Amino acid sequence: MAGSGRAVKRPAAGAGVAAIEPTPAFAGGVRATASDRGGAQRNLVGWLFALPFVLIFTIFLAGPIVAALVLSFTDFGLRDLRNPLGTDFIGLDNYVELFGDATFWQSLFNTAYFVVVGVPLTLTVGLAAAVALDRGIDRFRTAFRVGYYLPVVTSIVAIAVVWRYVLNPDVGLVNMALGAVGIDGPNWLANPTLAMPAIIAMGVWRNLGFAMVVFLAGLQTIPRSLYEAAAIDGAGRWQSFRHITLPMLRPTILFMVVITTIGYLQLFEEPFVMTDGGPLDRTLSVSMYMYRQGFEFFHQGYAAAIAYVLFLLVAIVAFVQFRLLKPQA
Amino acid sequence: MRPTSRAAVLAATFVLIFSVAACGSNDPGAGASGAATGSPPAPGGSPAGSDGASPAGDISGELRVWGMGNEGALLGALADAFETEYPDVTVNVTPVDWGQAVAKLQTAIGGGETPDVSQMGTDMMGQFIETGALEPVPSSVDPSVYFESAWNTGVVDGTAYAVPWYVETRLLYYRTDIAEAAGITAAPTNWDELKAAATAMQEQGGAEWGISLGTKNWQEYMPFVWSNGGAVMNDAGEFALNSPEAIEALTYYDSFFEEGLSPTAVPEGFDITPAFVTGTHPMFVSGPWHLGLVAEAGGADIEGNWAIALHPGKDGAPGTSFLGGSNFVVFTDSPNKDAAWAWAEFVSRPESQILWYEEATVLPAVQAAWDDPALGDDENLALFGEQLSSTSTQPAIPTWSEIASSLNDQLERVTAGDASPEDGAQAMQDAASGIGTGR
Repeated sequence: MAGSGRAVKRPAAGAGVAAIEPTPAFAGGVRATASDRGGAQRNLVGWLFALPFVLIFTIFLAGPIVAALVLSFTDFGLRDLRNPLGTDFIGLDNYVELFGDATFWQSLFNTAYFVVVGVPLTLTVGLAAAVALDRGIDRFRTAFRVGYYLPVVTSIVAIAVVWRYVLNPDVGLVNMALGAVGIDGPNWLANPTLAMPAIIAMGVWRNLGFAMVVFLAGLQTIPRSLYEAAAIDGAGRWQSFRHITLPMLRPTILFMVVITTIGYLQLFEEPFVMTDGGPLDRTLSVSMYMYRQGFEFFHQGYAAAIAYVLFLLVAIVAFVQFRLLKPQA
Repeated sequence: MRPTSRAAVLAATFVLIFSVAACGSNDPGAGASGAATGSPPAPGGSPAGSDGASPAGDISGELRVWGMGNEGALLGALADAFETEYPDVTVNVTPVDWGQAVAKLQTAIGGGETPDVSQMGTDMMGQFIETGALEPVPSSVDPSVYFESAWNTGVVDGTAYAVPWYVETRLLYYRTDIAEAAGITAAPTNWDELKAAATAMQEQGGAEWGISLGTKNWQEYMPFVWSNGGAVMNDAGEFALNSPEAIEALTYYDSFFEEGLSPTAVPEGFDITPAFVTGTHPMFVSGPWHLGLVAEAGGADIEGNWAIALHPGKDGAPGTSFLGGSNFVVFTDSPNKDAAWAWAEFVSRPESQILWYEEATVLPAVQAAWDDPALGDDENLALFGEQLSSTSTQPAIPTWSEIASSLNDQLERVTAGDASPEDGAQAMQDAASGIGTGR
């Protein structure tokens, strides 16, 4: 899930920032020797250093983003493949059509379902694991940490194979466990009501490791003295958690809520490898529907419109979350 | 999921297509198209007769061929034979994964970087003909050489854009031992017998199910429509998915699920082979590849205890089964169309078709190849050969993949019991009419 991609990158980016931090001193040194050569040159050097990034950003990000926006106002399809500039501009037709597209609404509902259930679940389980590893568990701590984090960095294809076995109606781990206590387990992925919960379970399992690592880092910034003071005042474990851990962790939680929500809104891989959107489109996410329209049916204009609606949605949700969760000063 | 990066890749692809295609279409084709469009060489009217020696004279240069999946990997054998015949031609084969075939071909067309010749699945034809990137087949190629349904997969508005290469069709696989235990001694030939056989195998034969049928696979459903005189589109070119024939077929198809003879909830990635070998699913409908799979998975345990039969028709076998397979297409941007059509002619010769059967175990699309003892003497293969004359397939329209997707969705609703066959057929019709033929 989105978390995972970011999961690998975020800490690295953080490390990058840390490594660059000392550069003011270095930059100062450069400035001292080059001060007489004027600001223009310094500017040039700066741009030269930034050039690789600027180029890559322009060619592979900014350009395509603008192109996709233009595309969303066209009916670009198979016929235009050989002569893309000959495609017809149809204004907002794609967006209007999308508004009346029952499958799109279904995919939107599915995605919302995944986010509304999946995000709190992932963060709660991730936080619980982090607190347990921070406090309770001393032995094998590293083993646990690696164990929880492993799914984040494991290939989705390998995960899909394993989870199909886990959820297999006849020989799967889940149903064998249910069978042991006398419950006849259902066919999870083929059942319209149960398929999404199964996908959510998989998503939570896959992403809680990242949440755990971030929460662990957050927990370590909380001064121990606060807990000691609370203990002296007679606070129990739950009270310390409620009145120290949670408030102190607020920025971390905000970060995780936003990041995880953005990632989950773009749900793609889990249903793509597990159910192909079925049964009866109950696990079809907005991203999957975009992929289907764009690359299976080759309605690239329509797919671009879906992409932009999704983008708008993500932006709005992230904005609202920032507003709601911002620490009151 | 790397959604952001996926979105970026998606967007980047657009831009690449735009920029590369812009160069490609302005490029005058490196002076090649002039020679090529002018006069394609006679690719031997009847592949059976021509030995291809006469037009070999000026055919030379490089021939870039794309092959899909397993075929792509094995294509070298055919390429060697071709090079022996045309020593001045160098064949470069590029294997392409089936899963990426459509995207790779689209990218190649968009970027103006197509090969000369490519294998193309019969169900991909409509959308690629729509791009205008495929060269019409020269009139010197005789359509009657091939199975009619196979030839028609590449025909739009009377113009053919593809030469059939190999075909496959679907027959009924059944367990003779379970059938006998249930008191059935002959293969079911019509709908009533098929239903009776499934019921008996489940009730008296000790099987968990009667027959395995696809819950969301139009390729398993449509043969029942065809066998009942229905079609995807009628002669006037209008969709006919809610015709009385289609509704009757859907009602019949759904009855297997209603009566508990076929499982409705099939796990993703379900493999019928072990289920057939263990006997829980004593009947299923599939192509020739399952001959080998069943024999291999079952070994001695199951030998002599299973057989195949023609697809049951409404009143008698053979019904009309599904035809799939692959064609060869030549791209309009190819700089070496002479060699490309020579290739198409070469692979259509009965001896090439037999060579390819022996290499890749796929069935010849050329009818004359079936006279060869390699195929004719094998009882099971002969049945496939017999069924091939009674087949139908999807119309060559660019919107087919989209329509197929909604057929599958509606079929799933009906077999799951969420919709009646009448409503399901109507929904199929509405969906198909809404999507249209793309013309």
